[in-house]
Amino acid sequence: MKDLIHFLRRNTLATVGAGLLAVLLVAVIVGPMFVQSPTAIDIGNKLLPPGPGHWLGTDGFGRDMLSRIIHGGRYTLAIGILVVGIAFAVGVFFGLIAGVAGGIVDTIIMRIVDAMLSFPALVLAIALAAAFGPSLENAMIAVAITMAPQFARVARSQALSVSSRLYVDAAQALGLGQGRILIHYILVNAIGPLLVQASLNVGSAILQTASLGFLGLGAQPPMAEWGADVSANLSLARSSPWTALGPGFAILLAVLSFNLIGDALADWFNPRRRSQIG
Amino acid sequence: MLAFFVRRFLSLLPTLALVLVIVFSLVRLIPGDPAVTLLGPGATDNQIAALRLQLNLDAPAVMQFWHYVIGLVHGDLGVSLKSGQPVLNEIMLRLPATLEIAVAAVLAAIVIGTPIGVLSATRPNSGFDHSIRILSLTGVSMPAFLLALVLQLIFATWLGWLPVSGRMSSYVFVDHVTGFAVIDAWLSGEPGAVRSALLHMVLPVTVLAAFLAATLGRFVRATMLETLAEDYVRTARAKGLTRREVVYRHALRTSLLPAITVVGLKFAEMLGGAILTETIFSWPGIGRFMFEAIRNRDYPVIQGATLVFALLFMLTSLMVDLMYALLDPRVRRKMN
Repeated sequence: MKDLIHFLRRNTLATVGAGLLAVLLVAVIVGPMFVQSPTAIDIGNKLLPPGPGHWLGTDGFGRDMLSRIIHGGRYTLAIGILVVGIAFAVGVFFGLIAGVAGGIVDTIIMRIVDAMLSFPALVLAIALAAAFGPSLENAMIAVAITMAPQFARVARSQALSVSSRLYVDAAQALGLGQGRILIHYILVNAIGPLLVQASLNVGSAILQTASLGFLGLGAQPPMAEWGADVSANLSLARSSPWTALGPGFAILLAVLSFNLIGDALADWFNPRRRSQIG
Repeated sequence: MLAFFVRRFLSLLPTLALVLVIVFSLVRLIPGDPAVTLLGPGATDNQIAALRLQLNLDAPAVMQFWHYVIGLVHGDLGVSLKSGQPVLNEIMLRLPATLEIAVAAVLAAIVIGTPIGVLSATRPNSGFDHSIRILSLTGVSMPAFLLALVLQLIFATWLGWLPVSGRMSSYVFVDHVTGFAVIDAWLSGEPGAVRSALLHMVLPVTVLAAFLAATLGRFVRATMLETLAEDYVRTARAKGLTRREVVYRHALRTSLLPAITVVGLKFAEMLGGAILTETIFSWPGIGRFMFEAIRNRDYPVIQGATLVFALLFMLTSLMVDLMYALLDPRVRRKMN
C-alpha cells in the first residue's frame, strides 16, 4: 500500500487526476452551502453571460449554471460509483461461479456474456433504458447491466487461475464450505485486476449515463444532471454557449480525473510497465 | 483458410441466437402492458387491441420468439409505429449515411492514432509523450456530444469555415442513387456538390474519429513499449540495425497486429457514438433515426436499430478474426 501511494505520487498524471478529483469532491460537498438553489427560476435574469453574481452565467430560465453544475456533480459522482458497484457485484458473482463451477454452468454464463458483449455498450444501454422507461435510476441500471459482462470475464479468468492454486486445494481438503472458499480464498486473491477494471470503468459509467441523459433517457427536468443539462441547452448553445459548455466540460473533467487515476493503477498492476515508469 | 472461416462462422451462431433473444425481450421488458405504454395516454381500446395483435403479444412467449425469428429470416423487422413503414426499409435508407462517416472516421483514426502511438513509445516520458498521453486521455474522456458542440461553435458558428450540420448544402440537389452523399454528388456532376458533401463530413467524422484515434494511440503506445523491451528487438539492435529500422521493420509489425483487434472492437463502440454525433449534426443516419425513435417511443425502430448495430458489431469482429488469421500464420495454425 505504501509502495502504491509512493508510485502514484511519483506519477504526475495520477497526481493531476487525484487533485482534480479532490477539487470536484470539495466542490460538490461544500459548494451547495454557498450557491443558490439549482432550480430557482429567475426569468428576469435569463441567459446572463458569466460574470459577477453568476460566475458561469444563467440558463434559459435564469437558473444559476454554477449551482446546477455543483448540484449535478453530486449525482454524477454517485452515479459513477453506484453503477460500477452494481456492475461489479453482479459481474463478479456470475464470473466467479462460472470459473469455479466449470462445465455446463460456465458455458451458459459465458455464452450470455458473449451475447451481451456483442452489442455496442451504448446501444444496449439505450435499448434497455428505453424499455425500462426514462429516469435516472433506470439509466443507471441499464448502464450497470451493460458493464457487468466485462467484470464477469475478468472474474472468471481470475477464478480459473486462482482455483488451481495449492492453498485452494488445501482449503478444500480441510472441508471448508464452498461459499467460504469462494470469498475468502478465491475472491480475495483475484481482487487486484478486478479493482483496476472497476477504477477504469467509473469514468465510462459517468460518460454513458450522461449520454443517456443527453438522449433524454436519464435524469428528467428540472433535475440538475450534466448530460441532461447539455441536451436541454443545446438549442441555446449558439447564442449562449456557456449554458451547454459548462455542464459539458464538467463531465469531461470528472471522467478525466477517474481515467487518470485508473490509468496509473493499471500501470501499477502491470509489473513490466511498473518497473519502466516507477 | 476456408475451413477456418466456416468454423469461426458456425461458432457465431449460438451467440447470434442469444443476441436475438435479448433484442426480442426488449419490448417485453417494458413494465406493464407494452401496447398501453407504447401508445401513450389517450389510446383507445381498439388501438391497444390492434397493436397487441401487430406485436403478437397474446401468443405464448416461445411462439412470439419463433414468429420474430421467422420474420427476421424474411427481412421483417416490424413496422415503425410513427411512419407505418417497414423498419428494415427505413434502416436501409439511412445505413449508407452512417457507414459513410464511420468508414471515413476509422481511416482517419488509423492515420492519426498509429503514428502518435509509435512516436510516444519511442520517446517514453518525454514532453511529447506526456502531452500526447494527456491529449489522448482527454479524447477518451470527452463526451462525443461535447466535442461535437465545441467544434461546431468554433469552426461553424464563429469561424464560418464549415457547415453547422446536415449532409449537403440546401442549394445543391443530388439524386439518391447509392445513398452515399459523396458518391451520389460525384455521379450527379453538379458543380460544387462533391465539395459540399465533403465539407459537411469533416466535423462529424472528426468527432467520431477522435475517440478511436485516442484509444488506438494509447494502445499502440502500450504494445510498442512492451515490444521494444523484447529480446529479439535487442538482438536486432545488436546485429547493427539502426533504431529506425528496428522500430519500423520489427517492432511496429508485431505491435500492429493486436491494434487491428482494437480498431475492430472500438469500431462498434464508435457506432454507438454515432447516435450522439448524428443527433448533434442532424446527420440522417441510423444513429439519428434511433434518437428520433427514442423521442417518439417508436419501439420497433429501437429494436430494429439495436439488432442492426449488434449485427454490424459481430460482422466486424468476424472480419477482424479473419484478418488476424490472414496476417498471422501462428493464429491460423492454432485455430486449425
